[in-house]
Formats: sequence, structure tokens, C-alpha cells
Amino acid sequence: MEKLRSFIFAVIASAAAAYVPAARGDSPPAGYHPVFATSLSPDQKRLAVARGDTVWVFDVQSAERPVSAKLSTPGEMVFSLSWSPDGKWLASGGAGKVRVWDVAGGKASIELNGLAGRVGALAFTKDSSVLLAGDEGSVRQWRVSDGTALPQWTAHGDSVLAIELIGDGAVLATAGGDKLVKLWERESGKLVATLEGHAAQVTALAVSPDGKHLASGGADREVRVWDLSTKEKGESLPPHPAGVSDLAWLNGEKVLTACEDGSVRVAVVGKERRFERTLPAASDALYALALSADGKTAYAGGHDGEVYAWSVEKSAAEKKLAFAAEPSGAPSPPGSLSFVNDVLPVLSKAGCNAGACHAKPMGQSGFRLSVFAYDPRSDHRAIVKEIRGRRVTPNAPEESLLLRKPTMAVDHGGGRRLKKASDAYATLVRWVREGMPYGPTGTPTLVGVEVSPKEQRYTKGAAQPLRVTAKYSDASTRDVTALSDFSSNEKSVATVDETGVVKVADVPGEAVIVARYMGMVDVSRVTVPADDLLPDAFYASLPANNFIDRHIHERLKVLGLSPSDGCTDAEFLRRASLDATGKLPSPEQARAFLADDSPRKREKLIDQLLSDPAWADHWAGKWADLLRPNPFRAGVKSVYLLDQWLRDSFRQNKPYDRFVRELITARGSTHRDGPVVVFRDKREPADIGAFVAQVFLGVRMECARCHHHPNEKWSQEDFYQLAAFFAPLKRKGQGISAPISGEAEFVWFAPGGGVSHPVTGETMKPKAPDGPADAIDAARDPREALASWMTRPDNPFFARAAVNRVWAELMGRGIVHPVDDFRASNPPTNGPLLDALAKDFADHGYDLKHLVRTIMRSRAYQRSSLPNERNVADSRNFSRWYRRRPAAEVLLDAVSDVTGVRERLPGGTPDGRAVQMWNYRQESDFLDAFSRPNASADPPCERDGAGSVVQALHLMNSNRLVSKIADSTGQAAALAASKKTEKEIVEELYLLAYSRPPTEEELSIAATAFSQPGATRQSATEDVMWALINSAEFVFNH
Amino acid sequence: MPDPCCNCEGTPRRDFLKLGLGGLVGLGFVDLLRGRARASDTPGAVDPRAAGGARAQGVNCILIWLDGGPSHYETFDPKPDAPEGVRGELKPIPTAVPGVHFCEAIPKLASVADKFTVIRSVCHKDPNHGGGNHYMMTGAPTPVPVGCGAFVTFHPSFGSVVSWKRGVRDGIPAYVSMPEMSRSGGPNFLGGKHAPFVIKGSPNSKGFRVRDVSLPAEIAAGRELGRRQLQQSLDRLKRFADAAAEDPAVDFDSHYRQALGLVTSKSAQEAFDISKEPDEVREMYGRNDFGQRLLLARRLVEAGVSFVTCYSGGWDHHTKLFESYKGSKVAELDRGLSALIVDLDRRGLLDSTLVFCLGEFGRTPKVNKDAGRDHWPHAMSILAAGAGTPRGYVLGATDAKGYHASQDIHSPEDFAATLYVKMGIDPNQHLYANASRPVQLVSGGTPIRELFA
Repeated sequence: MEKLRSFIFAVIASAAAAYVPAARGDSPPAGYHPVFATSLSPDQKRLAVARGDTVWVFDVQSAERPVSAKLSTPGEMVFSLSWSPDGKWLASGGAGKVRVWDVAGGKASIELNGLAGRVGALAFTKDSSVLLAGDEGSVRQWRVSDGTALPQWTAHGDSVLAIELIGDGAVLATAGGDKLVKLWERESGKLVATLEGHAAQVTALAVSPDGKHLASGGADREVRVWDLSTKEKGESLPPHPAGVSDLAWLNGEKVLTACEDGSVRVAVVGKERRFERTLPAASDALYALALSADGKTAYAGGHDGEVYAWSVEKSAAEKKLAFAAEPSGAPSPPGSLSFVNDVLPVLSKAGCNAGACHAKPMGQSGFRLSVFAYDPRSDHRAIVKEIRGRRVTPNAPEESLLLRKPTMAVDHGGGRRLKKASDAYATLVRWVREGMPYGPTGTPTLVGVEVSPKEQRYTKGAAQPLRVTAKYSDASTRDVTALSDFSSNEKSVATVDETGVVKVADVPGEAVIVARYMGMVDVSRVTVPADDLLPDAFYASLPANNFIDRHIHERLKVLGLSPSDGCTDAEFLRRASLDATGKLPSPEQARAFLADDSPRKREKLIDQLLSDPAWADHWAGKWADLLRPNPFRAGVKSVYLLDQWLRDSFRQNKPYDRFVRELITARGSTHRDGPVVVFRDKREPADIGAFVAQVFLGVRMECARCHHHPNEKWSQEDFYQLAAFFAPLKRKGQGISAPISGEAEFVWFAPGGGVSHPVTGETMKPKAPDGPADAIDAARDPREALASWMTRPDNPFFARAAVNRVWAELMGRGIVHPVDDFRASNPPTNGPLLDALAKDFADHGYDLKHLVRTIMRSRAYQRSSLPNERNVADSRNFSRWYRRRPAAEVLLDAVSDVTGVRERLPGGTPDGRAVQMWNYRQESDFLDAFSRPNASADPPCERDGAGSVVQALHLMNSNRLVSKIADSTGQAAALAASKKTEKEIVEELYLLAYSRPPTEEELSIAATAFSQPGATRQSATEDVMWALINSAEFVFNH
Repeated sequence: MPDPCCNCEGTPRRDFLKLGLGGLVGLGFVDLLRGRARASDTPGAVDPRAAGGARAQGVNCILIWLDGGPSHYETFDPKPDAPEGVRGELKPIPTAVPGVHFCEAIPKLASVADKFTVIRSVCHKDPNHGGGNHYMMTGAPTPVPVGCGAFVTFHPSFGSVVSWKRGVRDGIPAYVSMPEMSRSGGPNFLGGKHAPFVIKGSPNSKGFRVRDVSLPAEIAAGRELGRRQLQQSLDRLKRFADAAAEDPAVDFDSHYRQALGLVTSKSAQEAFDISKEPDEVREMYGRNDFGQRLLLARRLVEAGVSFVTCYSGGWDHHTKLFESYKGSKVAELDRGLSALIVDLDRRGLLDSTLVFCLGEFGRTPKVNKDAGRDHWPHAMSILAAGAGTPRGYVLGATDAKGYHASQDIHSPEDFAATLYVKMGIDPNQHLYANASRPVQLVSGGTPIRELFA
């Protein structure tokens, strides 16, 4: 006894001042007693189990495996166990201390204090003379006989999660939360080797029977086997389905592993590296495994506090070990918190599960939450069970990593996310103290949120607090304003702070405030009317050519805007030609149109342009940007065929609904049936669904692929139900791999094949977003049903999305912008206009030419691009026509037309036009400079209208352009050689480039080119041509 | 000795405080730092936001891309003690760094190894050219499997990001690629403005000119001035000065002005003209296209280009590898790359110029039946120099036979984060891709601490 006492004091005296957690916590909550460690005694007769704050010892010789001893440490959880090889001692590791129990003699324990945090690993040397312990970073050791502290050292930058002695104990291996395994000389603490390779915390170690290999298991789901002599990694096992908590060698070639999903496996290591068999699983996460020396019986315990037993040879479960008269896991007391309804909202508001932090695909620092809390069960597991529950400390809740990290009580890369004196913090503390319940079954689920006020007119500078109410399945409600996230889609009109207070700025307009709570969204509309409105009579007197103008004028009235004047005939001619046919008008056409004084000449011109064959290539190209795959992924031949089908469809002016139906329901061969190629390029139902939604419904459902859509009502269910239409497709033939073009691939409908919800695993039935829930005959291609739904006159998306695209092409901006982003939080700038256009389109058989004609006939299309004082700041209400640069191919063709020299692109015809090119890969500096889509990107490929210095450099200095201008067969040469006067030459150049004659002043300036010293007719003509091409009036459609 | 209670930046750290002073027994301070640097939740061993600061904004990058996957065995990571059939036919040679050996195929680089770092322990899992290209050029793996022949872009490339961050200075393109853009070297959602300015052609040939950046040679100077004056007088389309009107013609003017500035800047024009370089310098780099491109790259970064990719194809040696590595292609690499590093150093540019040389992956340990090696992403070597990269340093190691990276293992994300931090760009920042979805510039990469000397 004297020895023990001096042992204690010696140890206490020698312990360095270090972090000492709360010496004693409260009792753990009822029902919370996970098994963190199991250990079989050396004589195989006893099994020690660390369960909650008690160590149980079972007599496993006897068939009933009764309890033979119970060592309680009330309020102190036990995290690790180890028997001394001589069977005399059982060491248990707690929080900040290690106890050494004399089980045989039933003596009181010896306590070794001064360790830092959880003691997650214990080991005795082979001769039982030394006990080692690993805590939250260091390895410590003591001589057992007299308690002398032996060398201790910092082993890892994070917790030590396992210790194994190797051979005679001269060397030991440690596994750390810092993803490393390290080998040390035990006596000196010298580092022998670092074994790197795990991608997450390493939780388990085991030395092979022959002492030559070390197996390590980690939270990265991997088991790696290391050669102890070369320190090299051997073959790893295939990944387990969940983190590997513990493992043991069955014999020289096999290991037994226990996982965080409760599964237990026998695996063959070495060259074979495969799973051999799975034992019947435990009902909850397993944390600790013990295997009898003869390899016949395995025991494991985990989160539910049970100890499972198996006959390994028979792969059969045996009776669970019985704890004396223990109440089984107590149900959550009434009134306890719900993880989903109470805890997750706190974490969400604090930003823990933001896509930038723990909700990254790989999590952050090994801790992963689902983004927008779409997978609460997985989040609960991550917080409560991963890595032996190290993130929560229910018997001392404020010690939990879950609470220390966000309050910066320890270093946290994410900074301070919670204040200690807050409701949020208190909620988390209470939840941990309650034992981290998930919540009883029957907990009401969130069904929606409502913002108030839903819409309101504001005066400039006003402020308004919003209130967000959550609604649950049991009709209860809760004010969740403090836990909601807010954003404004139009910060220049109104902003909103994180408490939901809207502040209105000082410009008139409209804004939408989005409130988001736990995956549900609602919007509040803000309208700030203009101060000085114009009288109704003003708008009534504005010329209106059709319904488009009436709707636009209504909108301008609300905002107090006045429209610009009409454009000139020359402007209209050039604009309409470029928009309808992608071509500049010829000088003859220009002269004729400008000279014509019939009152309906613009309408006649529109009709002429729409019947020009050039319409087809120009407009097909716009859909090619959206549909045509990367030929270096899908194959050159097949992409060409799709392109030809597109052009042909536009040549026929195929009604748009038929066009889309043909595409969506395509089947056949990629080397024969163009539209099939879309299904070659996009192979996953989820990819196809997202694509169809974006391109044809104008809805970016892609966000809902992984979680609830952050800004709209779409759920993952909606997303995968849409994807389900494309699940029963079979493919055969040349897959996506090198060589790329190779043979054909066939795509056809075949019943079977489904899509599962990624979280619930439920097989999704095909259902369109907001569409009917009718069952679809499984023997019929569901894509037909989708196409029918899409093209129904009352479909809310299809026609609107289509007219919006065409509107954007002609008017410079969609009524909804971006054109494929329809959502409640991104409303159209003119809803009635959009609706009217959609209805008109559907009523006229989805005829694209009719739509274009209608828009071009409107006054809105025929406005000048020059602003007036009132509308100078308007860029979305169509008070004037918005300038833009034409697409790269159109501009290149325009240059070719003006210079009179065609571009001759590889794969094209000698007199072909750039708009006829069927892939983006043909080399062309010009097209690249003017933002032709990157050939390696996947469709839809948006074009970039921005300018750049490279464009300017190219126009200015390109050798190609210079030679085209100077070409002997070109326009300049022809003009120079002709009999025209200098002024006539200039006039011709103006008509070519600008579709208008020059003014007197311009004529005289341009004519000076001819009288420059050293100038010839040829060189002067070239110079004027160059000057016109290098001007904004040429480069822009204005 | 710095206060052991704090890390280099002086802030106390949780893990250290816990361990107490007693924890220092038996460990060198450097090991301690290394240990801490590896701790998974050591916040910012290198603070991405602070690293370099203003100085890093002035760092330019030359990236030499060896397309096909150069063999680590036959370049920077020879394994003479590996079994026959793995070690290959070439021998190791000592380098200017004691204890470090390279393959005999690159003697010049060996002789200047004391100027750069070799990273031997970057690895990944994508054995396809399409995927490997993407991973090592953008720092992001492809989200879907892609075939070997695929040219894909799912994330902006390094050069495009730098272009986006730095913008055009005085009309000089921010991002140049020669003689072509690499497979995944494009801007993706950053837009066409940040596509590379491609300089095609053969800088070694007489009369080589960089396209578009100089006035066309055919047009005499006087005439050039004349036509420009004509253009200025004739360009009559009205511009709207009011910024709220968002007039694209105003942008057009600004770009045009910058372009004009470039064209009339003597120093920029000289920079683009490789014939201005003295013959002995041109010889030093090697009178071949690869070497001359590196020289041109040096001139371009001197002129203010922020990122230059020098693309070299044909490194996919599935057959006759040893023959090839003894041949002119590797000799050109050896000569040109060592010349670039020496040249940058003696001109005092190495501190502000980051140089990388890499390919998609390494090559298989087991030599195949055609005396070649196949694709192998588990081990690869990267040369890194300049902008504070340590001199004469080897970072990490592969195992004894060259199969796997085994020490100081880093991912392509770590490499990307390092590149960005060295150039003053925060790798953790979010960009907004097409669907307004936040995309992290580098997802899950930590700058490699050892490369920030």
C-alpha cells in the first residue's frame, strides 16, 4: 500500500502542467452508454468491456458468459482498456486519467493523472512491466512496478487513437487523428518512421501474428497493410462502406474488421485483397472489436451499448452479452429536443453546413455534414458516432468538440460561429446533455415556410423587418426568423440583413427577398414606385404596333420610364438582317430598302429575311450551342450528324414542339440518327434530366441534384423523378472511350432500369416537375409522356422558356434573366408580356418564324439604341433597344462579306460561311478571340458577349485580316479597279459595312485617304475599309 | 530559438498547449513544426489570404507542360535499386545537391538542381490523359469519368484564373499559351476573355513574329498612322458615357486604347521580338522550338504577362521509352529548362517568377513488352522553382521501388493551392459557376508548407 501511495504521489508530482479537463463530469444521460473498448484477457477467460462510465468484466469461458465484475467510475467515461499480459492488471483510460485495476484481488484502482483529454489508447509491454497510454496528442508511459514516469513525447498533432507494441516492445506504433501512423523507439521516444497514406483519422492498429506487418484502419474507410521492415505500404483492401473502427488479424492472411455502420467482415489481405464474407451486422455503429486467440469467437461493442458475439467460423451471431439488470436504452424523455427541428437549424444558421465548410464533398478536416441539411441521418451519425463519438461529451457537454470549436475554445479554421451566451449555444448544450437524441418517431416534419409580409410597396429609404414562420406536418407553427437566411436578388433596390430586416435604397424598381430555412424557401416582393411618373395620356399616345408594345408600355408606366425614339431605316435594315439571317445586307439590298418609301416596307423586309435560307444556319447555330456535344468526347461523326439534323429542322421551320419531341424521344444509332447523340453524350439519367430542365423548361434544377434547391421549391425528389424518365434506356456499342469516333452506339428504350433517391434509396417514379402524378405504363417509353406533358398548351414552362430565349436573342436580354433560370426568386421583369408571348407562340403551333416576326414587328424591337435622360439607367425593361456584339461566326462572316474574301474553314465548303461550321474546334484566331465557345466544354455552352483587348488587337493587327482586305480577288481590289469615283467607292464601303450611305462630312474625311502622300486607289480603299471594320458601328449590332 | 509555445506566426495553438513543454523531449523543433503542419486541422499552416501579400501580386508563372506523362524514373526520381524490369535501362547521376540523384537523361538539370525544388510525392488516381490533364491543369478532378482521348473542361485552368484575377495590364494579354492551348487550359465559366492568347508557330524560325500584338509588317508606318487617324475620325457611333447605360461601345474603346498602347510601346514590342535576344542566349536555350519558346516565355513575363504555358507534346512513351529519353526530345528539355532557370536567376527574375514543369502523371514501374512504360498516377515528379521555392530541395519521396508516393504525400489540390498562394490568390475563395452555384477555386487543398521557404 505504501508503494502504491508513493507511486501515486510520484506520478502526480512528475506530471507536467498540461491541459486538465473537468475532473469529473455529471453522470452520462440515461441511455447513453456506448461501448468504446473491449479487451480479452491473455488467458482468454475474461472479456473486459468499457461501457459508459463502467467497466464490465465477463466470464467468457462459461456458455452464458455472465458478468464477473463491475468496476464503476461514476461520471467518468471509459475510452480504452488493456489487460497486462501477465493477467494481473486491467488498465482503463478515461478523461485525463488512467486507472490500473487489480481485478483478481478486487483492489481499489491506482490512478495516473495529468493526461490530456480522452485517453483513447492503452498498451502494456509484453513483459507487463510498462504501461503506455495515448491521449490527445502524446504518448506517456510508466513503469508498472513503482509508477515511475518513463519518457513521454508528443506523438501526433491530434488525438492518439491506437497504440500497438511490436514484437518485444522495443518499437511501438501509434495511430493519430492527424491521419498518420508512426513508429517509435519506446525507450527513447525517437521517431523511427511515419507511414502516410490514410486520408482521414486512423482509428485502429493491429500487428500480424508473425510480427512483420501492421494493419491500420481509418475513418477514410480504408484498411492499409504496412511492411514493418521496409515501411512500405502493401496492398490496401477495397474500401469499406463506412469508417473502420477496429480490426484484428484472424491469421497470417486475413483480418476481421468492424465498421461505423455496424458491419463486420472477414477480408483477405495481400495480393488477393478482397472481402471474403460478412458476419451478421450489429444494429448500430461499432467502436471496438475483440477476437479470441484461436480466431473462433469475436466480440464487438458500439454505440448502442450492446456487446455482440459471433462465431467467426460459422459466420453466425451468438447471443448478445447481458448486462446485469440494466434498463435497456431509455427512450428520449418527453419534451426532449429533435435533432432535425432543433439542432440542425442552429448548425445551418451558424454556417457549419455551408458548401464552403463542412458540407464540402470531403467535409472539412474530416468532419462532413450534408449541405442544406439534406441528409439529417448522416449528419446525426457524423456528429454523434464517428471516430468513437469524439465530437460529443454528454457527461460534460461544454467539453464537446461540437461546442468548443465554434466558440473558439479551441482553434477552429471556421472561426467563431456561436457565442456562448446565446440561445443557439444553449440548445446544443441541452441536446448533448440529453444524450444527443435524434428525436422520437412521429416528430412533426417541416412542410413549408411563410414570409410576411409577402409583398409590399415601399417608399425610398424605408425599413421593414420580415417574419418567417415554419409550418409542420402536425399543423403547428414556429417563428424561425432568427434561424433563417435571407438574400436580395436586387441589391440596388433593397438589401436585407441576416436578421431579416429589409432596407430599401433610393432607386425605383422591384426586388425579391428570399427567405430560406432548412431547405424551404419563400419570397417577399418589394416594389418601390418611381417618384415622378408620367401621365397615363403619355403612354396612351405612344405608338404601339402589337400586344408586345402594350405590355411594355404598361411596365414603363409603373416605373416612370419613357421609351427612346424609333431607329432609322438603315439601323433597322442592318439589325433585322443580322438577327434574322446572321448576314449583313448587301449594298444593293441597302439601296433598295432605303429608297423604298412604301409604308409597310419594314414588314415586307421581315418576311423576306425570314424566307432567306440563311435563317436556318443562323438559328440552328443558336440551338447547336445548347445541344451539340464536344466532339472530342462524343465522337466527330455523331456530332456532325446531330448538327445536320439541327440545321435540317430549321430549314423546314419544324414546329418547336415537334423538334423537342423528336429530340427527347430519340432512339437509334449515333451514326444515323442525329438526336440520339444527345443521349450518347449525356449518359446518366440525372444529367439528362438536368439538361432537359435547363434547356427546354428554363429551370435550373441541377442544384436539387444534391440537396434541396437553395432558391426555389424544388426538392431532390423532384429532381430524381424527372431523371427517372430517362432511366429505362439501354445503350450498346461504342462507349465513351478512346478511340472516340469508332463505331456507332445504339440507344433505345427498354423497360427496367430505375433511378434511386440518393438519400432514401427509394426508386423514383417518373414525374414531371409540378406535373401530373399519374402512373406511367412501365412497358412504354416514359419519354413520350414527358414530351406530351412538355408540349401541352397549358404547360407552365415550355412555351415561356422558348419565347424567353428567342426574346433574348432579339432584344439583348431575356424577360427572365438568365434565360434558363426561371424561379420564384427571379421573377420576369414583365410577367404579362412573357405570358402573352407564350400563349401566342403556342396558339400558332410553336412556329419560331411566327414568333420572330411578331417580335420584329413591334415598336420595341424597332427602337433606337440611344437612351434618353429618363431611360439611360434601364437595362431590362426594353425602353430602348440594347446594343450587343454579334456572335463570333456572324461577325467573321460579316468581315468576309465586307472584304469579299471567304474564310475557308477546314471542313467547310469553299464559299461556305462560318455560321455553317459544325464544331468549335476548327482553328480560327478570330473566332477564339470573339468568344466562340471552348471546344472542350460540354453543352449548353453560353456565349460570352464581353469585349477584350485580344479582340481589339486582332482587328487592329491581324495579318489574316490585312491580307483579306488587300486580296486581289476581294472587294477593295474590285472597287479600286472599277470606274467608280473616290466618293462612290467610299459610299459603297459604307453600304457594305454599315448598310447606310456616308454623311457629307464622313465622305470628305474618308476621301482624304486618297490624297495622302504615297496613297494609291487600292491602298486608300483598303485603309477606309480597315477603318470602318475597326469601328464600333461595324462591330456592334446597334 | 523562437518561443516553443507558439508557431511561427506567433499565435498560440491548441495542440501545442495541450502537450505541455514536456512534450518536446526527443524531438527536433523542425520535426515539431512538420508534425503540426501535417495536423489535419491546423488552421492555415500557410495562411492563403496572407501569404506573400503585395509581393505575390507581382509573381508571374511559366508552366512547362509535358503532355503525355513524363516518366518519374527517367527524370527526377531514379530507382537504381529497384529490380530489373522496374529500374529501367538508364542510370542515375549525382546532382548539384549532395545525396540527390536524377536520371542520366537530364545532366544539365542535374547540374543546376541547387536552384530548384523537385516534388516527388504528388499523386492521384486518374490514369487517363483526359482526366489527368484536367486535374493537373485546373486542380480539380473531372466530375465524370472521361476517356483517354478526351479534351474536357469543367473548371477554370490556372492561367485563366490568373488572367481573371490580374486582368490585362497595358494591353498585354495576361495568359499566353504556346504553341497551343493544352487540353484543359481554358477558362470554363470565367468566360472567353480569360482564354489563353495562343502564340502558334515556330519561334526558332527566321522572321517569326507573335501574331496580332504588333502592327502588320505589310503596312508602312506612315500609312498605319494615317489609317488610324481615319478610323478615329470616322468612328461615329454615339457612346453613352453614363456607366448605368452599360454601353458595350465604351468597353470597346477602352480595349482599343489598351491595344494601341501595346502596339506603340517600344518595350512591349521588343519583348515580343525574340530576334532581339543575343545569339549566345538563344544558343543557351537551344536552337529548337521548345527552347526558343522558353526564351520567349521569359521575355513575355518580363514584359508583364502573368501566366505562360509552354506546351510540349509527345511524352506518352508506351514504346521505346529509353531510346527516346536518350534522344533529342529530352535533351531539348534538359537544355532549355536548365537554361531558363539559370537565365531567370542571373537576371534577378527568379524571385518573381514561378516555374513549374509537369505532366498528367508518372509512368508504370514495370517496363512493358515494348520497352515503354504506361500511365501511372500513383507517382510523379514535378519541378518547381522561383518565387520563394527553396533551392536545392527535394520534397517528399516515393517508396523504394517508385511505385507509390510514400512520404509527404500531396494531392493535385495541394499543388494548385500552392501555385495560387504564391501568386497572391486565395485558393479557398468561392467563384460562382453558371447556375450561381458556389464553386471553391481549390477544393480541399492546402498549400505545401515546405515550398514557402
